[in-house]
Amino acid sequence: MADDDYNDIDMGYEEEPPEPEIEEGVEEDVDNANNEDVPDPLDGEEKEEQEPVERPRKTSKYMTKYERARILGTRALQISMNAPVMVELEGETDPLEIAMKELRERKIPFTIRRYLPDGSYEDWGVDELIVEDSWKRQVGGD
Amino acid sequence: MKAASHVFTKEPYVEDVGPRRIKSIRFSTFSASEVGKIAEVQVYRGVYYDQKRMPLEGGLLDPRMGPANKSFRCNTCYGDFKDCPGHFGYLTLALPVYNVGFLAKILEILKSICKSCSRILLEEESRRSELEKIRHPKRDALNKAELAKKIVNKCKPGKCARCGYINGTVKKAVGAISYIHDRSKTSDRSLEECKSAISHAKESKGFLSVASNILNPRDVLSLFERMSDEDCELLNVADRPEKFMITTIAVPPIAIRPSVMMEESRSNENDITERLKRIIQVNASLQQELQEIKNLAAWDHLQAEVGLYINSDVRGVPYPFQAAKPLAGFIQRLKGKQGRFRGNLSGKRVEYTGRTVISPDPNLKITEVAIPIQMARILTYPERVNQYNIEKLRQCVRNGPYKYPGARMIRYPDGEMRLLMANFRKRLADELGFGAIVERHLEDGDVVLFNRQPSLHRMSIMCHRARVMPWKTLRFNESVCNPYNADFDGDEMNLHVPQTEEARAEALMLMGVQNNLCTPKNGEILVASTQDFLTSSFLITRKDIFYDRAAFSLICSYLGDSMDLIDLPTPAIIKPIELWTGKQIFSVLLRPNARMRVFVNLTVKEKNYSKPKSASERELETMCPNDGFVYFRNSELISGQLGKATLGNGNKDGLYSVLLRDYNAHAAAACMNRLAKLSARWIGNHGFSIGIDDVQPDNDLNERKRETILNGYSSCDEKIELYNKGKLQLQPGCDAAQTLEAVITDILNQIRNETGQVCMKKLHWRNSPLIMSQCGSKGSPINISQMIACVGQQSVGGRRAPNGFIDRSLPHFPRKSKTPAAKGFVANSFYSGLTATEFFFHTMGGREGLVDTAVKTAETGYMSRRLMKALEDLSIHYDNTVRNASGCIVQFLYGDDCMDPAQMEGKSGFPLNFNRLLMKVKATCRSGEHKYLSAAEITSLIEQKLPENESTSDGGLSDASKAFKKSLKAFLLEEHEKGSKIIFDFGEDATGESCETVNRVAQKIGGITEEQLRAFIDTCISRYHFKRIEAGSAIGAIGAHSIGEPGTQMTLKTFHFAGVASMNVTLGVPRIKEIINGTKKILTPIITAELDRDDNVNIARMVKARIDKTILGQIAKSIKIVMTSRLGSIVITLDMNRIEESQLSIDANTVRESIMQTTKIKPKQLQINVLDVTKLEVVPLVDRGKLHFELHSLKNMLPNVIVKGVKTVERAVVNKGKEKYKDNEGKAKEREKYSLVVEGTGLQEVMGTDGIDGRKSKSNHVIEVQQTLGIEAARRCIIEEIQFIMSNHGMSIDIRHMMLLADVMTFRGEVLGITRFGIQKMDKSVLMLASFEKTSDHLFNASASGKADKIEGVSECIIMGVPMQLGTGILKVIQRDEKPELTYASDPIISSC
Repeated sequence: MADDDYNDIDMGYEEEPPEPEIEEGVEEDVDNANNEDVPDPLDGEEKEEQEPVERPRKTSKYMTKYERARILGTRALQISMNAPVMVELEGETDPLEIAMKELRERKIPFTIRRYLPDGSYEDWGVDELIVEDSWKRQVGGD
Repeated sequence: MKAASHVFTKEPYVEDVGPRRIKSIRFSTFSASEVGKIAEVQVYRGVYYDQKRMPLEGGLLDPRMGPANKSFRCNTCYGDFKDCPGHFGYLTLALPVYNVGFLAKILEILKSICKSCSRILLEEESRRSELEKIRHPKRDALNKAELAKKIVNKCKPGKCARCGYINGTVKKAVGAISYIHDRSKTSDRSLEECKSAISHAKESKGFLSVASNILNPRDVLSLFERMSDEDCELLNVADRPEKFMITTIAVPPIAIRPSVMMEESRSNENDITERLKRIIQVNASLQQELQEIKNLAAWDHLQAEVGLYINSDVRGVPYPFQAAKPLAGFIQRLKGKQGRFRGNLSGKRVEYTGRTVISPDPNLKITEVAIPIQMARILTYPERVNQYNIEKLRQCVRNGPYKYPGARMIRYPDGEMRLLMANFRKRLADELGFGAIVERHLEDGDVVLFNRQPSLHRMSIMCHRARVMPWKTLRFNESVCNPYNADFDGDEMNLHVPQTEEARAEALMLMGVQNNLCTPKNGEILVASTQDFLTSSFLITRKDIFYDRAAFSLICSYLGDSMDLIDLPTPAIIKPIELWTGKQIFSVLLRPNARMRVFVNLTVKEKNYSKPKSASERELETMCPNDGFVYFRNSELISGQLGKATLGNGNKDGLYSVLLRDYNAHAAAACMNRLAKLSARWIGNHGFSIGIDDVQPDNDLNERKRETILNGYSSCDEKIELYNKGKLQLQPGCDAAQTLEAVITDILNQIRNETGQVCMKKLHWRNSPLIMSQCGSKGSPINISQMIACVGQQSVGGRRAPNGFIDRSLPHFPRKSKTPAAKGFVANSFYSGLTATEFFFHTMGGREGLVDTAVKTAETGYMSRRLMKALEDLSIHYDNTVRNASGCIVQFLYGDDCMDPAQMEGKSGFPLNFNRLLMKVKATCRSGEHKYLSAAEITSLIEQKLPENESTSDGGLSDASKAFKKSLKAFLLEEHEKGSKIIFDFGEDATGESCETVNRVAQKIGGITEEQLRAFIDTCISRYHFKRIEAGSAIGAIGAHSIGEPGTQMTLKTFHFAGVASMNVTLGVPRIKEIINGTKKILTPIITAELDRDDNVNIARMVKARIDKTILGQIAKSIKIVMTSRLGSIVITLDMNRIEESQLSIDANTVRESIMQTTKIKPKQLQINVLDVTKLEVVPLVDRGKLHFELHSLKNMLPNVIVKGVKTVERAVVNKGKEKYKDNEGKAKEREKYSLVVEGTGLQEVMGTDGIDGRKSKSNHVIEVQQTLGIEAARRCIIEEIQFIMSNHGMSIDIRHMMLLADVMTFRGEVLGITRFGIQKMDKSVLMLASFEKTSDHLFNASASGKADKIEGVSECIIMGVPMQLGTGILKVIQRDEKPELTYASDPIISSC
């Protein structure tokens, strides 16, 4: 008796098309498509070759201070562990200072992967981004 | 080694045990069988150790559950005390009991299922539809819980549709952990049987009600076991409900309940262990009772013990079972500030920290902090040996842990660690190779974090560079006192040393002092010169200060470190001897040498700037007689004595702000350093002190003061006289006593002001307190006049001193005395000394202040915490949206324009200050021989530079930047108009040959060259783009700080007169609390209503009358009882004159309607007859016996019937204001404008009243606005109200923060308060909620409904110890694998970009 009831319910439930979340499904599909051709962020090494068609990138072309801090930190760590330095040194020994110099000369061999809230991402080379030139900012010409 | 000969054809499977990340946490319930699976041992004996002090088998400290202390080993994994993670045991209960955490959930289930067949008490049809609803894939956890609650409410007790059993109501039993089922309506025979059985029993207990049956846990368990899965789903029970009952207890590992051995044969057991022991004992006696078939009294006891084991504060434990000494249960371990969540998971104890007293050192840079050597020897930094530092580290290793630049430890790449205590240091130093890590002492230039509690905003913890120094205090430049809110009266501060290269880089970049000169609260500068620095700059830049070459050079050498290059400027006076002015020192300070390309341009009006006397004989701003107009042009101080407005904190146009904006943080910091050094040395030589003679009033001043006070006193006496006679003219809305108070307070305040002004005028210009108050370093004119002239009125609770005795404040005064002295006016100064009564009044005022601060700190602290918890995980994403942790959009564009509040230069949050920038461009960009542009050229250039329709691919930002460009354009055109007017004016005056010269001068003032215009527009645009808020900013936390921190500075209770006396608006912390909490009933609801016709008093009054509550008693001439022999009635006669006077449209008919609508009177039992326009008769329809009483009660009630107006309105007042407008000719004029201020609620009714302009009417009641106008209006209301409070307290906060707060409170579609109820509904995770408030409730609910917690938010990430998705965590960095082209050649070609 009870079993029949259950079956009935289930059938009825299944038959009725679940309301308007068709749109959502479509969206999800798109997301999946995106995610499929961009494999896990961890295996970035082989990524470069199979980078899919370049979409126009939407995010700001300015480097944020968080990106700058993260890059300098990562690079300073590398330098402190005896990584080869990409610039000519003028007596600097502090890894952070060396990293800053590399950034100023845009020699840091990193790519920034900016994650958008939907899970997709954009890759920006460090040399592509405009770093705020806090070393020399002036108003007007002379 | 031997196995190496084996050759595997396939790779052997090796389990990957690398680092793993917790992706999510799912909460669930534990069943008896699961407990059995994880348990290693059955625990059945409530004993600990045997005589030999060995833990007993089967006891609570069974060695198979882990070693009880260091001397034992685990019998399961054979690990020692350090290694063994601990193992569970199990303890089977004789009978099931309820889990006290789920009591509410069990009640819910019992209420909604049939107590016979276990099915849900819903009709089949509604059950199906509800099931469909709850299974809907779009329904999230929050929604599901809500729906489940609704379903429970739908399940009414009654006949079960399936089995026909009649269910009664289920209640929680009082005073016991059990449930009562009311079976009085149950129709089966069991009830009668039971009844008869009891009546037959000899000792029938009278009080035992048969009908209400206590459901025992065993029955409940069997009911739950029979429940169908679908019914569970309906009730939002993720797992089986029988898991809410306890049949087997999982005995926790010994590791979490350690046993501490005491001397002799005693041991100290953990609370949990002792609880378990009691459970075992009670369980044993229950077992015995079961076998002996007794009445199972121990069952209740067992239930109580198991309940207390989980939650020692559980309600409903019978008194005899309550323990004498409180033993903490599991919930007590988690709960509260010291609990696991807040005390150990959200905030952890850390190593590498220090704390001591702080003291000032102006010789340090603002970015530095001096660390005592003792501290530097203990704090270490693990530095990895590389090619650059190997020699330094070798020396450190040689020095060892006790000699200063030394090291404490070496860690080798293979994991070995060596302490450097012994003598082998030399060898270790020589053998030191790349890759090893040396824990060396802190050295100069190391990155440290510096912090002072209370950490109210992000500038309370900043990153400094270490400077290891002798002596024992932490020292830093006084300029940095402000962000920490530190002084040197014994304050202590904390120091932390980041331990990795990444942490250092991030700390330096993001938390460095020079990157935090500005507060994100409103973009004002926070790190700036203070105290003596201001005094000495004020004194140096005096007009009459001149230095000869020697003195000037000496002062210049004070400025910097000895290596600085300084170009002496041209002396201001050359003959008879070369002299430099003090102002020139500041020119040197800003730009020491010609190679420094810093050109500061600014104008500031200092505090002592005197306005031009009249428009006709206008003196130039720069010629201010007080020298209060500061003008820097190309880094030269032209005029003005520098003070707080230029050099101090809390402004946007000061010197340092300009340096910071036009140049960079380094420029501003360098100037602060130079000024600190200069000031400390200069003022040391010059000398600046305060003595008793500084506060001695002269005879003249004393005389003037006496006069003022006498005058004031006599006018007070006059008023008192008038009051006593009852002739005092009343102020609107006040009675006589209130008016007198207001008048006297006014007079007394005037006395103080007057004496203060006299005293300030009389002081010598070299008076130290005067100098300090003028330059803004310390003290206000009021402070000075309190010391010298008169202390003034003391107030308690905003009033004059209250009567502590009968009718008087102190027994020194006559009764009912209202004189100034009797009510706390202190006529003496601190110098002349207070009389005994004055002193007492002064202490009363002082006490209030102290109490206020004490109360305030607690209250605002809690407010900040709640704000922080609600906003913590909001951040800017790369698509410029503001989202919370789960990705739900809160704002599409931060603050509607995506600007960073910390970088706003203009007033009220505008990105740029065009005026200043234009001045700068004009000054730095020399016109030279360039042509000045004509009007046509200017407009065309603007058009060219700022095209109307620019197709920028800026996403959603183009709108905001368009608005910016528009305002830029408007500014330029206006500026051009002004300029051409000047040129025109000059041209009129000029005659003949001077025309040419005059014209050139005029052009220079008003004109602009092409180059200047281009430079200006380019700078504006590029700077605008750099001011954008950056993706990753934790803007929620910043907003919470920005609103919470000013709260601490607000005085607790402030009332404010809204134009009309006696109409108050709550302000200060209570009002902020009201808004933030989303309180339903606020203290002072006020509606400001605009009128359709706002220029006529009479119309305003008419509309007011329509809104104002009018009761029958006010408009009735008489309300009489008329008794005739046949019937009694009440006759109401209306006072038509009065009605017409107040322009109410009321007659007998409308009054009849009003009476009919008043339910309190029961109008259905009345017959109301309208006799004529002014008269009506009310006849109660009751029998004669009651008639008399009825008539009298009616007579009492009728006068209170509301005949006109809005019920919820307290009163309405016509507010007279002024409005500026431009008439047809464009001249500015003023006219009177009337509006209504309505006290009370009822926005909808007020808006609907005739004559009110509903579109412009506002209420300050957020919830009401939401109900009448909708959620967007509520958002606006929140923003405006917070802004109103803040501006009333003289605090400026960027509107973007308030927008964010308002958006968080409204983004769910209803107004959610920042309270535990609101935050719950904000789509937050379980861990976050658990770490906020009601820890255990959230955890139990989560496990009942099987919630999962993806570790996304800030709190969860901190609890789990993983990096969060904010700030630097929002992106990933990928190493490029292309081979770097290493050019070791002598001459690398650096490609320029």
